[in-house]
Amino acid sequence: MAVAARSQIESSGCAGSSRIAVRAEKSAQTIALIVACMMARRSFLLPSTALGAGSLGALLGRADCQRLLSAVPADGGAGIRVEAGDVRLDADSGEPQVVAPAGRLAAMVEADVSFMLTTSGSTGLPKIVPLSAGAVDRFTDWAAARFRISSGTRVLSYAPLSFDLCLLDIWATLKVGGTVVLVDEERATDGRYLAELVRAERIQVVQSVPMFYGLLANAYGGQPFAGVEQLIVTGDKAPTQLLGQLPSLFPNARIYNVYGSTETNDSFLHEVVGVADIAVDLPIGRPIDGVDALVVDVDDAVLDGPAEGELLVRTPFQTAGYLDPAASVGKFVAIGDGKQPYFRTGDLVRRDAHGVYTLLGRRDFQVKVRGTRVNLAEVEHVILGHSAVLEAAVVGVPDEITGTRIHAVVRRSAPGSPNSLILRERCRLQLPRAAIPTTIDLVDTPLPATATGKVDRQALIRAVLDRR
Amino acid sequence: MDHKQAIKEYIVTEFIPDIQVSELDDDYDLIAGGVIDSISLLRVITWLENRFDIPVDEVEIAEKNFTSVTAICEFVHLTAPHGTSAGNPG
Repeated sequence: MAVAARSQIESSGCAGSSRIAVRAEKSAQTIALIVACMMARRSFLLPSTALGAGSLGALLGRADCQRLLSAVPADGGAGIRVEAGDVRLDADSGEPQVVAPAGRLAAMVEADVSFMLTTSGSTGLPKIVPLSAGAVDRFTDWAAARFRISSGTRVLSYAPLSFDLCLLDIWATLKVGGTVVLVDEERATDGRYLAELVRAERIQVVQSVPMFYGLLANAYGGQPFAGVEQLIVTGDKAPTQLLGQLPSLFPNARIYNVYGSTETNDSFLHEVVGVADIAVDLPIGRPIDGVDALVVDVDDAVLDGPAEGELLVRTPFQTAGYLDPAASVGKFVAIGDGKQPYFRTGDLVRRDAHGVYTLLGRRDFQVKVRGTRVNLAEVEHVILGHSAVLEAAVVGVPDEITGTRIHAVVRRSAPGSPNSLILRERCRLQLPRAAIPTTIDLVDTPLPATATGKVDRQALIRAVLDRR
Repeated sequence: MDHKQAIKEYIVTEFIPDIQVSELDDDYDLIAGGVIDSISLLRVITWLENRFDIPVDEVEIAEKNFTSVTAICEFVHLTAPHGTSAGNPG
């Protein structure tokens, strides 16, 4: 299928060295198309399918991708047809869809870029993270060896195809001749389906965000998933109660808490041993082989020994920087020996006397919703852009199932308009889906303020929690 | 009360209480607009199960069946047992 896709790429008007975007619909055909891109040594962008049409167009414009390719099943499902779309996408918004060529970003210096992933939609447009073929290679080698994936190993793939998690569950697996079982995206929140799939497909390796395990825990019906051998929890802080259930759900699995980011890929690993381990905050553990980690204080002074501060990491798998060099300023920093820059994670950590790290929280306004990073300030910015909105505060509210859900409180200049549907429409056009608030409260009185006159976000969160 | 009205009332009361039932378009995309996300979808399905006696264990649940009031109505028509078209009051 990949060979067929490759020849279709050539004939679809994608000039020899131009960048390609691939619609990341999760299917065997899309995977074949990506393999074809790799065989042809092309640079390819995998934008999230959850992006609004306006954002998608702008993103493709910035990455200088002239074609958006989709892989469509052909010949009764066994074949592939590659469809090339124009980058310009209609969003019914009347706003320009693709940034002008003048806004294009400087070409990457590194020539061997293969995957171009995106950060999960933090500030404005997602940032584009180009990964060199070498970085992908080093990561897939490490992942396959670390999680004992080899020829014939059956690995579940739960994350969307545009997520960095696929580098492990799809690309490391295929590289060593294992079998990838794709979760049907339409049924990704159907616990019974997921439980059945894990059993029927005799899955041995699972990597997923905590939500997935929560769904399985609700659906497992006392029947443990005995076939799972390696289990990776990643992408988010897992609720303690859920972690406590994992050993009985997966009695034969080694359980790992893995920490990483799109920019650096996996950088910390902690193996969960026994239920006692879970009683307190689960550590992210120690840096994995070849990873350097620093803890710095607010002035970027490197701290030694037990310490609390911001985590900086550099890994053998990391990007050389965002596609937009301006975005990299301050995020990739040369500290210490200056061999390779460190990535500033924005996460606050504690390092204990044994060198074990535990995550404390975000340094800024970022929260994670179902594994996707959302910048609350950006959501506020979009809502405040409506002319009849006087004040807006967007907060992350703890949620049993999703970890965090987004709640917006909006003060209008006059009762009645805009209503929540109008604000949702704004958000839909300008933000990734995970950033659209779950609930929107409309008020016609000033928002609660702190002594220093800032919106009292904690009070808003308490008000929502008290309402239950 | 017909299905459409009941479904609309439920969605408005549950997820978008600031708007009037009449303001919600039959074809408004509830999923794209974030009114219903993957988690609240489970609540909607539970409600449909109780309200219209839908045997959810036996039917295929796909997100596309819940993108709008029209789509949910269609789903109810296709899956609800015959003779319970009005559902249980309350």
